[in-house]
Amino acid sequence: MAEINQIDGIMVVTLSGELDNLEANKIRSTISSSIFTGKIRGIVWDLSRLGFMDSAGIGLILGRMRDLAPYNGETIILNPSATMEKIFSFSGLGPNIRRGSVDSVIGEIGGVLYEK
Amino acid sequence: MRNEMTLSFVAIEENEALARMAMTCFITPLDPTLEEISEFKTIVSEAVTNAIIHGYNCDGKSLVTIHAVIDDNKIIMTVEDQGEGIFDVEQAMEPMFTTKPLLERSGMGFTIMESFSDSLSVESMLGSGTVVRFEKTFSPVTEVSRMR
Repeated sequence: MAEINQIDGIMVVTLSGELDNLEANKIRSTISSSIFTGKIRGIVWDLSRLGFMDSAGIGLILGRMRDLAPYNGETIILNPSATMEKIFSFSGLGPNIRRGSVDSVIGEIGGVLYEK
Repeated sequence: MRNEMTLSFVAIEENEALARMAMTCFITPLDPTLEEISEFKTIVSEAVTNAIIHGYNCDGKSLVTIHAVIDDNKIIMTVEDQGEGIFDVEQAMEPMFTTKPLLERSGMGFTIMESFSDSLSVESMLGSGTVVRFEKTFSPVTEVSRMR
């Protein structure tokens, strides 16, 4: 399941349950259309409550990074499990991983964009 | 302990979760760590998703078959389809290579399976199907805590 919230131009996608190919196909278009309609300047993927993820999660996140590219949007992957962290590292997404609260990473994106 | 099972199901995406759940139950008596369970589940998910999506194009009627043997602390498992087959196995196993970029397949499936298993082999023939075989040894939680 995906719960989508927007806070000050930053989209927070909170995932729960199991993110596999079937689930990724279900939530992809909702997330994409939010990016295109919402003047989004960053996405925080909050994985604190996600129980399982396979490579479909990588496809979903990389795809949304492409959607965000025209807006120079930031992508942050928040609190993945140890196994998910390995999967992200294999895929070159290690530098996008953060630990902590949604508020703290929103502050970080705000700060990064402000400096630009 | 020794145990053996076979599970077959039609090629629909809903059965990815079925395979993960069934196989997780199968290894539970080995008392694996949470991380081992989650890595094992990921391997199963990648192999079964490949068979359903790439082998059979989600045709909803052809069968994917999992065969698994538990030998002491080790599982030896095959995931087999009689589908399309892989044109070039070596290329398919390269990180980020995918034949279905429009479906947002990341091309990371084989990399993940290789990293999370002790050994992985892939046999495939165009037009007759693919067999993915892997082994993974678990360290029982009780033994790990005894060592500490």
